Amino acid sequence: MNAPTHTPAPAKLRYVDRDTLFEVERFLIREARMLDEERFREWWQTQLAEDVHYVLPVREIRLRADQKPIGSNPGAFVFNDNYMMLDMRIRRLETGLVWMEDPRNYIRRFISNVDAAWADVDGEVDAWSNFIVYRNRRQRDETVVWGTKQCRLRKVDGEWKLTRRTILVDQRVVLDKNLYFFL
Amino acid sequence: MKDVSKLILEDGAVQNRSIYWDQDIYEQELEHIFARAWLFLAHESQLPNTGDFLTTRMGEDNVIVARQADGSIKAFINSCPHRGNVVCHADSGNAKAFTCAYHGWAFGLGGELVTVPLEHDAYYNAIERPRYAMHPVAKVESYKGLVFGTFDAGAPSLRDYLGDMAWYMDTFLDVPGGIELLGPPMKSILNCNWKVPTENFIADGYHVGWAHAAALKAIESPLSPLVGNQAYDVNTGLQVTTRGGHGFGVIWDAAAAIHPVGEAYAQWLAQRTPIMRERLGDWRAKFYNGHWDASIFPNCSFLYGTNTWKLWQPMGPHHIEVWTWTLVEKDMPDELKQMMVATNMMTFGTAGMLETDDGENMEQCTGSNRGWVTRRGKLFSGMGQVREGHHPELPGIVAKGIVCETSNRGFYRRWAQLMSGKSWDELAREPGNAADKREVA
Ligand code: FES
Ligand SMILES: [Fe+2]
Repeated sequence: MNAPTHTPAPAKLRYVDRDTLFEVERFLIREARMLDEERFREWWQTQLAEDVHYVLPVREIRLRADQKPIGSNPGAFVFNDNYMMLDMRIRRLETGLVWMEDPRNYIRRFISNVDAAWADVDGEVDAWSNFIVYRNRRQRDETVVWGTKQCRLRKVDGEWKLTRRTILVDQRVVLDKNLYFFL
Repeated sequence: MKDVSKLILEDGAVQNRSIYWDQDIYEQELEHIFARAWLFLAHESQLPNTGDFLTTRMGEDNVIVARQADGSIKAFINSCPHRGNVVCHADSGNAKAFTCAYHGWAFGLGGELVTVPLEHDAYYNAIERPRYAMHPVAKVESYKGLVFGTFDAGAPSLRDYLGDMAWYMDTFLDVPGGIELLGPPMKSILNCNWKVPTENFIADGYHVGWAHAAALKAIESPLSPLVGNQAYDVNTGLQVTTRGGHGFGVIWDAAAAIHPVGEAYAQWLAQRTPIMRERLGDWRAKFYNGHWDASIFPNCSFLYGTNTWKLWQPMGPHHIEVWTWTLVEKDMPDELKQMMVATNMMTFGTAGMLETDDGENMEQCTGSNRGWVTRRGKLFSGMGQVREGHHPELPGIVAKGIVCETSNRGFYRRWAQLMSGKSWDELAREPGNAADKREVA
C-alpha cells in the first residue's frame, strides 16, 4: 500500500464556511475525547470510513538540498493502516491481555490550529490541525508527543467520516517507548 | 576493571544484576565490547552510488558511512579533528565532501582533510593535512551485503567473527538476488539496558505465549495456540548458540506465521524453496521456511520471517535507541515487499502490536535493578541447560525447542570473555563449555 505524502496546502484554497469549519473542529475534538476515554471500538465504528487510510511516515533528518518528500521512501512508516488493520489493533486492546495497559495509561490529546478547505472531490474537506499528546503511566512515567495531521473527511448520511489521515510527529527519534495509541 | 568471573556464573546461566545497571560496567562494555566487536553499520543497498552516506553510531561514537569513488565503503568518526564539532547532521544523503560548520574544514568521502580555510595566510602552509583526517573505523567489511565495522585493527575478519552464525544466515542471505533493508529506520527510545533486548531476541521463546498473548489473539496466527503458555511441543523447533555469542531460535514452517495476511509470502517461500534446497541443502531449506528470532553479538537482532532488523543502540546503562528496518529479498515483487514492510510495522515497528509488549518488559527488567539490594542479586537463565549439546549435522551448540535459554547462555559466555580484556588470540584458544561434550538429547 503506497502512502500519500504530506503535502503543504496549495496557495489557492477554497476555505470552508463557518458552519462546516465548526463541524470539522467538533469532529476532531470529539474524536480526541473518545480516544482519551478509550472508546476505541466506538471510534472505529462511528468516525472512520471503510476506505480509511491512516499513515504516519518516518521523518528522516535530511539536508535542505535533499528534496525527497517525507514519506516517499517505501520502507518507512510507523502506521500505514487500513480499516482492517486498525480493527486488529483495537482487537488486541480488547483482549484484556495487554499487560502494559494494566493498570491503565492516562493519555490526553490536545487539538489546535484547526483549518479546513473543500477538497477537489465533492463533499470532502481537507482539515489541518496540530496536536499534543501527553501520556502518564506507572508511578512517574511521562511522555509528550507533538505533531500535526492532515485529514480528509467525507460527509456520509449527514455525518463526517475520516477517509485519510497523514500524521507527522515532530521527532526523528520518537521520545517514547512506542506509539501504540491513535492520533 | 571489574572481575567478570563474579558477574557471569555457571557457564553463562547466572548473571549478576549489576551488569544491567552499573555505570562502571557499562564503561567497560564500551571499551571491551563496542570498541572491539564488529558492529552493524548498513546494508550495501542503502548506499548504491558514489557519495551516498548515512550516519550511525558504534557504541556511543557517531560514525559516517560513505560509498567511495572506487565502490568501496568507508566509515569514520563524525567529529571534526580540529575542535571536535559534529560534521554531518543528516541521517543520510549524497555528498561530495563533508564540511564542518565551525571553521570550514572540509573532508572527502573517505574522511581525508581536503580543504582548510586560510591554510596559507593563517597556518603558513605548515599544517600536515594527513594528520587531521577524520578518525577512521579500523575495518569495514561486508558479508553478503551486510556491512559491519570495528574500531579494533586486530579483530578477526568479519567472516571469522560471525563464525557458524554465517552458515546459518546464508539461509536468507544466499537467496538469488540477495536481500535489502528498507528504511530509513524507525527510531524510538527505551529505558532499558542494551543487553535485555539482545537476549530477548536471541533466546526468549518463553515469553512469546505470555507477553504477546493479546497480539497473538488479535492476529489469529498459527502461533496462537501458544497463548498463555498452555502447551508446548519441543519438536517444533531448535535453539542454537554459536561460538562468538551469536544465536537464534527457529520454529519450523512458521516463516509467515505472524503476517496478518500471509498467503502471498507463503507462496513465495514455496516457490523459492527448491532453489534454496539446491543451493544450500535440506537443512537450510528447512531453516528458510522457519521463523527465527536471532541476535548477532553484541547489539544487532533480527526476526527472519517477520523480517524485522533491529539495532539496540546503547545510550548509557539504562537507555537505548531502538532502530528498525524491514528485511526483504531483493527479487520479491514490490507488492510483497510492501506487505513485508506493513507486517514489520504492525508487529515490531514503533507502534507494533508485539514491540509494545516487549518494550514494557525490557524497561521494567532494567529499572528494578536501581535498588541497591536488588542490584546485588542474581538472575537465572538455566532453562534446558541439561539437554543441549552437539548436533551431528548442525554447527554450534543445539537444543531442542525454542522455549529454551541455550542462546542466552552463549551470549553471556561471550560477554564475559570479551569483558575480561583478553586478546582475540587468547579468546580463540578459550576452552569450550560443558555442552560441547554432550550430544543434543
Ligand atoms: S571544529 Fe571543525 S573546522 Fe573547526
Ligand atoms: Fe517479544
